[in-house]
Amino acid sequence: MSQHLSSQEISQWMIGERTPQQEQHVRQCSECGAELARLQAALALFRGSVRHCSGRQSRSEPSDIASILSVRRGPRIQPMRWALAAAALLVLAAVPIYRNAQDRQRQAEIARADTLLLEQVDAEVSRAVPRPMEPLVKLVSWDFSSTIQNEEIR
Amino acid sequence: MATPGTMIAAVERSASEIDDLDTLVHLYWTRVFRFALASLRDPDAAGSVAQDCFLRAYRSREQFRGDCSIQSWLMRIAVNLIRDYARNRRLQFWKRASASAVDLEAVSQWIPDDDASPESRAMAREQLAAVWKAAGGLSERQRTVFLLRFVEDMDLLEIAAATGMKEGTVKLHLFRALQAVRERIGRSQ
Repeated sequence: MSQHLSSQEISQWMIGERTPQQEQHVRQCSECGAELARLQAALALFRGSVRHCSGRQSRSEPSDIASILSVRRGPRIQPMRWALAAAALLVLAAVPIYRNAQDRQRQAEIARADTLLLEQVDAEVSRAVPRPMEPLVKLVSWDFSSTIQNEEIR
Repeated sequence: MATPGTMIAAVERSASEIDDLDTLVHLYWTRVFRFALASLRDPDAAGSVAQDCFLRAYRSREQFRGDCSIQSWLMRIAVNLIRDYARNRRLQFWKRASASAVDLEAVSQWIPDDDASPESRAMAREQLAAVWKAAGGLSERQRTVFLLRFVEDMDLLEIAAATGMKEGTVKLHLFRALQAVRERIGRSQ
């Protein structure tokens, strides 16, 4: 193999995918060897940098993680649980109140309708004659009174 | 006195030792925190993720079947937590960046003390800054596999176990991540 490693072959090399021909070429080609060394050095620097940064930033390893975790979990989870429980109680309490209010409203409507109907019935019952016959009653009443007057005159 | 290596081996031998949370934390805290920090670049968030990771691992220890290493299992939990955290944070994009966020400029200035010339050190600083920037611009999956491979030194199978991806998918993301990093390094020169 006489050609230099392509960009793709260099990345594949770094992943670990390389052929014996490529290995032989890299051993003999200072240019490809330098390119690989440069990339490896950059990655090693990055690794060192991350580790350095991690070591500097790291909260020291918890000595008793079980208690720390329970303490940490406590305030985060407890309020949520309490909030859920309170919400559930509110819903449970609101359902009967809502139903009662609905029932009361329905009963009031029924009572109002009953009252209206009773008033209508009373009005109808209190009439001497049915409403369609009322003009006749007036007519009969008029004749009767005039007859009486005529008799008195005589 | 047991070295960390032998202690890790002892933990790997028996999944039942997950029950010993203190040992687990002692052995893996640094790695989990470091991975979270490199992914999120926020020490407070990284600390929370690391604590959640161990808490979740401890609570679901019955589900650990030993078909991967404890490190891969922990990293898998961490990967999921980081993904969830990053999504939540994206929703809050209008919020100001955390005051405790890692200062990329400062981090990029870190160069180990050696006898290199000022020119070499300046060049190394540029390369380091380029890798940090490139890592920040990677997709979530690319960054995860990139960090697990080149910071945590995990092999492809371990990364596949930790991320739930197939090995071929891990290779693909790693390849693309490397291409992006190389392009950024090339631009910085």
